[in-house]
Amino acid sequence: MARSIAIVEDEPLIRANYVEALNRFGYETRGYGSRGEASTAFAMRLPELVIIDIGLGDEPEGGFDLCRELRAKSATLPIIFLTARDSDFDVISGLRLGADDYLSKDTSLHQLAARIAALFRRIESLKVPASSETVIEHGPLRLESERMRVTWNGTEIPLTVTEFWMVHTLVRFPGHVKNRDQLMREAELVVDDATITSHIKRIRKKFVALAPDFDAIETVHGVGYRWTP
Amino acid sequence: MTLRQKLLLVALCTLALPVAGWLYVRQMETLLREGQAQALVASARALARSLVVVDAPLPPAGAAWYVQQSNVPITVDGYGDDWAPLSAWAQPLDRNARVMLAEDAHWLYFYIDVRAAQRHRADAGDRLALSADHLIVSIASGDDAQRYLLASAAPGPTTAIALDAEAGVLPDRINAQWQEDGGGFHAEFRLPRGLRLDHFGVGVHLGGDGEPLSADNRPLLEFSASLSQELSRLAPDGVRVRVLSPDAWLMAQSGKLQLPDQSLADRPGWLASLIYRSLVAGRLDDAGAWAEDAPRIDLPEVRRALKGKPSTSWRTGEARGSVVLAAAMPITMRGKLHGVVLLEQPSRAVPLLANRALFGLLIVSFGVLLVAGGVLLLFATRLTFRLRRLRNAAERAQDNDGRLDGPFPLIDATDELGDLARSFARLFEVVGGYTDYLRTLASKLSHELNTPLAIVKSSLDNLDHAGLPAEAEPYLARARDGVARLGALVRAMSEATRMERAIAAAEAEDVDMAEIVRGCAEGYRGLAGGRRIQTELPDEPVRMHVSPELIAQALDKLFDNAVSFTPADGWLRIALRPTPDGADIELANQGPPLPAAMQGRLFDSLVSLRDKATPGDAPHLGLGLYVVRLVAERHQGSASARNIDGGVAFTLHLKGMPRQRLA
Repeated sequence: MARSIAIVEDEPLIRANYVEALNRFGYETRGYGSRGEASTAFAMRLPELVIIDIGLGDEPEGGFDLCRELRAKSATLPIIFLTARDSDFDVISGLRLGADDYLSKDTSLHQLAARIAALFRRIESLKVPASSETVIEHGPLRLESERMRVTWNGTEIPLTVTEFWMVHTLVRFPGHVKNRDQLMREAELVVDDATITSHIKRIRKKFVALAPDFDAIETVHGVGYRWTP
Repeated sequence: MTLRQKLLLVALCTLALPVAGWLYVRQMETLLREGQAQALVASARALARSLVVVDAPLPPAGAAWYVQQSNVPITVDGYGDDWAPLSAWAQPLDRNARVMLAEDAHWLYFYIDVRAAQRHRADAGDRLALSADHLIVSIASGDDAQRYLLASAAPGPTTAIALDAEAGVLPDRINAQWQEDGGGFHAEFRLPRGLRLDHFGVGVHLGGDGEPLSADNRPLLEFSASLSQELSRLAPDGVRVRVLSPDAWLMAQSGKLQLPDQSLADRPGWLASLIYRSLVAGRLDDAGAWAEDAPRIDLPEVRRALKGKPSTSWRTGEARGSVVLAAAMPITMRGKLHGVVLLEQPSRAVPLLANRALFGLLIVSFGVLLVAGGVLLLFATRLTFRLRRLRNAAERAQDNDGRLDGPFPLIDATDELGDLARSFARLFEVVGGYTDYLRTLASKLSHELNTPLAIVKSSLDNLDHAGLPAEAEPYLARARDGVARLGALVRAMSEATRMERAIAAAEAEDVDMAEIVRGCAEGYRGLAGGRRIQTELPDEPVRMHVSPELIAQALDKLFDNAVSFTPADGWLRIALRPTPDGADIELANQGPPLPAAMQGRLFDSLVSLRDKATPGDAPHLGLGLYVVRLVAERHQGSASARNIDGGVAFTLHLKGMPRQRLA
């Protein structure tokens, strides 16, 4: 049975394109043009994954409210934010909405599909015990690729898909400097350097919030970042 | 000339005040003096009349011989040296002789000095005496009168022989001394005061010219104690009264030129008297001869009075800061002039009054000047201060691309400056609004463009799966390429705004700047192609409180900039130099010099020196250096660019970010 995806997007052309593309990828996709419409539909039945545009018609931040509603209904429902502006990344992260990923609208459908697949994979893998060969461990860090889970001293760090992939990239070859382009490629992102920097900053913050002495992600100025175990 | 100086200059107008006051005080002083003079003249007239009425012993009308009081003993020897103190008032006779008379307690002394170019000598007893050089002396006492012939053939003692018959008490010979010198001769003799002489005559006859027996007979005058007493009865208080003979000889005197005693504090100081004398007083005559106890008061006002006209004059007094008013009034009796009454009134009142008035005026006007000047200065200072505030606000706004950092100053002022401020504020509001519009245009535009871009992109993605014929593939790829480029362009457009936000949110840490610059330089080596990169770094670490990401980003921008202008085999140089308050990072590169016109604007937003981007390149919107400037300013520094030998150098002056307190 195909997985159901809901897309809440006020721009009908984009909505249509996404819906068609995702349908082609084999998901059962529904598009909603406004928050009210989506809320009504979700009250009937929750989809398995939701893609929300932040600006919904005349509500510039309607997506956030919708996200809160959904989180109240389900703690595990994967939510992906689509943003028109890169700067919204910072806003969103500040709100700690508990979305699973943030993507800018110029992310290609291919990359979007990769993220959706990853999220579904994670949902699947959480149902079964972790298989050991996909686990990377460095001291206190434990990284489970399938479940996209990162723990530090046994505590889970709540990373988005994008952030997880970045950490994953760094941790796979500790000590190797990964430049921003590499990080971008691995995380299936098309953003500029500043956004990468702010992603890294956010990742550090998430670690530091749980482990105040965390400094494993080192900046190599002018080049990139590396994981120093 | 600043506003303040101009206003101070205007304040000098208040100087007209003291000048006007000074003129007024002078006028007042003149009036006061006029009044005083008239009063004194009236007193003098009254005194002159009462002297006549009370039948005071007035000096006779006409010429007279005046007998001076001798203070030094006089020896009768024919020499004039013991007469020296009196010789100033010798009375002339004819054209060639001088006569001096003096008295002490017992004797009346006579001294006759004759200048004669030629001499005819004969003794008095000689027959020819009357045709030789001789003197005829006549004396009278009451009704008795006698004449004597006085002549001598040789210097030494001689005897004057009486010419008339015996005359009562008068002697028939007089012992005299006769001396000669190169230019003439002098005779000296004395007579006892007991003779009570009242007339004296003398005739000088050289070589028997004219009437050989004639003598110039005049009444004898001397200082009269009785008249002085009379005067003291009549004279007003505080006035010195003198009676002078028709020849201006002093006949009587009463009263003193003494000012009423004043406390020392009331006495005008030297400054006051100087001010009075130089600023207030009209012409004052000199005290001069008149101050001494002269037997003959030969003053202009006396001379005028002797001609029958009352007159007054002002003199400086002996006491400091005092003036003396003198009034001379002729004494006439039955139409004949019998002398002059001279009243002298010393006064300090007038100068004091005038001084006080002037002083008061000076002090007041000086105070007014000070106050006016002070007020004007305050006003000017405040005006200047307000204008400066206005200017500074305008300049700040200008530096800030027309955005105001808070309310415009003076906006509530009700005066013209307030109007100006309001106009300025409106202007800057308009400019600021326009600037803001321009500033946000790019990010707005990019935001708006994002949606259609996403539509195109997702449509192209879908097109991929729509089973296009093979010949359509290249077009799809091209469309993707174009969209990608559009996307890059849109991102670049919003970059400045995002950078501003990122820079504002940046957090600082204590790091070694050398480490950052070294890391960046290493990273650039791979990007420089064939260009050489030199580094100049200090050996010891440069610890600073900065945001390393921002510094690295600024360096990236500078490097991008430098690489694009450096020829393929050129050089770049990255240097870090510690400064007293931070550090300078300099990135120099070989390349064309900067045009002078661009120097100041280089770090502004949307300014680009590059030619139109070559096809396929990322668009260049001139935001790179703007970001560099923002980073420098975030670190309390600045960015600058200058031409160096064979290239260009861009410098980041950094001071470190302000430390924030840990909440």
